Amino acid sequence: MLYSEIVIVGCGNPLFGDDGFGPAVIEELEKLTLPDNITIQDGGAGAPHFIFNILDPSVTKKLIVVDISDFNAEPGSVAKFPGEKLKPGTYTDPHTWDGEDQLCRISEKIPTTVILCQPGKPIKKGDADVDMDLSDVVRNAIPKAVRVILETIGVDYGTTINLQEEGSRRGTAEACGHQER
Amino acid sequence: MSKVVEISPTTRHEGHSKLVLKVNDQGIVETGNWCSITPVRGVEKLAVGKTPEQVPKIASRVCGICPIAHNLAATEAMEASIKCEIPKDAKALRNILQLANRLHSIALHDILILPDLYIPGTETQINPFTAEEPVRTVAKRIQRLREIGQTIGQIAGGDCIHPRNTRIGGMYRNCSDQAKIKMYDLAKEGLVLAKAQMDFMIAVLRNYQARESVSVGGMKVPLPKTLGYHNQGYMATHAFYGSSSLDECPTWDINRFKEVRPWDWYMGEMEVSLEEPKYPVGGTTKLGTKVNPQMEACTGIPMYDGQPVEVGPRARLATYKNYDEKGTVGQNIAREMEYTDSLYEMIDQIDALDPNGKVVADYIPNGDGSLGWATNEAPRGCDAHIARVKDWKVQYFSMLVPTTWNFATCSAALTGAPWQLAEVIMRGYDPCVSCATHMIVLDEDNKLVAQKLIQ
Repeated sequence: MLYSEIVIVGCGNPLFGDDGFGPAVIEELEKLTLPDNITIQDGGAGAPHFIFNILDPSVTKKLIVVDISDFNAEPGSVAKFPGEKLKPGTYTDPHTWDGEDQLCRISEKIPTTVILCQPGKPIKKGDADVDMDLSDVVRNAIPKAVRVILETIGVDYGTTINLQEEGSRRGTAEACGHQER
Repeated sequence: MSKVVEISPTTRHEGHSKLVLKVNDQGIVETGNWCSITPVRGVEKLAVGKTPEQVPKIASRVCGICPIAHNLAATEAMEASIKCEIPKDAKALRNILQLANRLHSIALHDILILPDLYIPGTETQINPFTAEEPVRTVAKRIQRLREIGQTIGQIAGGDCIHPRNTRIGGMYRNCSDQAKIKMYDLAKEGLVLAKAQMDFMIAVLRNYQARESVSVGGMKVPLPKTLGYHNQGYMATHAFYGSSSLDECPTWDINRFKEVRPWDWYMGEMEVSLEEPKYPVGGTTKLGTKVNPQMEACTGIPMYDGQPVEVGPRARLATYKNYDEKGTVGQNIAREMEYTDSLYEMIDQIDALDPNGKVVADYIPNGDGSLGWATNEAPRGCDAHIARVKDWKVQYFSMLVPTTWNFATCSAALTGAPWQLAEVIMRGYDPCVSCATHMIVLDEDNKLVAQKLIQ
């Protein structure tokens, strides 16, 4: 099957500033060794069309969606919402079916958790003043989101957070306690 | 006296677009304008100054439906500019990825057009989400075909949505022997399902075509035998994959292409004078609303040999297989015929793939600023990318995506149809509007900001 027992999807467009939070979290998760029953997927701009409407409830037992959204919190805050909290959207047709409405319907069959981060500044459609990179507050929220995901799927590697915080030093000779001769 | 009706937004396709139709007293379209109203992405601007490795990744994020076609076309446009030939096994992997994407896309399009069609022998329009037979079996088959397409794409491309295995000079990794066998098994399974699905879709499309009238929002609308006919001609560069300026015999000529402004092609300011509240979904635009396709359209009008052309499945079949059925039904049938063609070709490509072969070119030049182009025959038509790379920096990048080619052609095809069927004609092109939007026309202050992008 394409998708396994636990599916973690990062949604958003990295070309659109903080909207790239979901794919950035997936990129971090890919650095970890996770159990075989977990699929991690960069949904990019295509999750509603490619993933949400193809999941099989007889196979997938847990869905975790990582995204950026304005929920009136401090920028960079990470929050976890159960799928039951999602409200149905306006269904017009299968191709312009918004992600929230699809998730709302999926959560009736597959236990769904949505992990959201508050953007550095509100994301507005058509905003020309947007960088391709994540803002610092949102970038700093990635380790926390990874920790929340690991808790949600019941994986505890203990040292994961320290590794995340070390950021770019990780894997270097210095970070591993070796000095270059 | 002519009346003006507007359908906005159009439904059951990707992106945001609208139809502005000038109709006669019988409701027949005299002039139709189909235009994109999706906000501009500005990807061409973002690309300038980036490395050739970055640009295909950026291009693949332009929308969520055809990332694979954009990734491949952008990668190969960079390779064409720097004059880099890739190994044959890398080419085979790219072919497999491309065909997997096409398989998924045809299946997705089936879901989108089924609500227009009828269960043969009944007056029941098809709801693809119903739990009742025979539709349930069809829906399950569609989902399995999508799953097969995505899985093969994931194996060949490293990811089924935004592929990450492609790189300038080839592919990052070849696949294992086991992965090759898995792709082969999936393609064989897909072939049986695709044949059944193609037969079903052609049967319901022929049933639709034979009707005197169809129902739209409870209105009985006469069905013309010439629904969606046009005389604009076709453009295709390969039956399956595409072409590049590196080819010995390229099948696309950049000198035959030019792009004009939408205000040279679309209608000017008008007022809506016909409103139909029963039209799905939620009725047409209110009476008295001002519309101005010339200024609202967010795309240029690309032309080949001085005329808009049709791209997509029918263009491929007409160019390479002498297919000659015109109209919307002919176009949808051509797409269905690509189901099995894609899988036969995919099986051939998998057969030809050597998992132990090299997939990265021995030498990858930095580029001398030459103009290179590559076309990729995306599910919905020819996706042409043009690039200029110098010293490993992108100096120029342009995307001429399938739906951009089709906007003006589809607009011409609307003439002579009842206005209520304009969306049926439009859906025949399987539009993907987001990536078609690649220029700004006006900002909020009605200030012209587009010309730099289309010069």
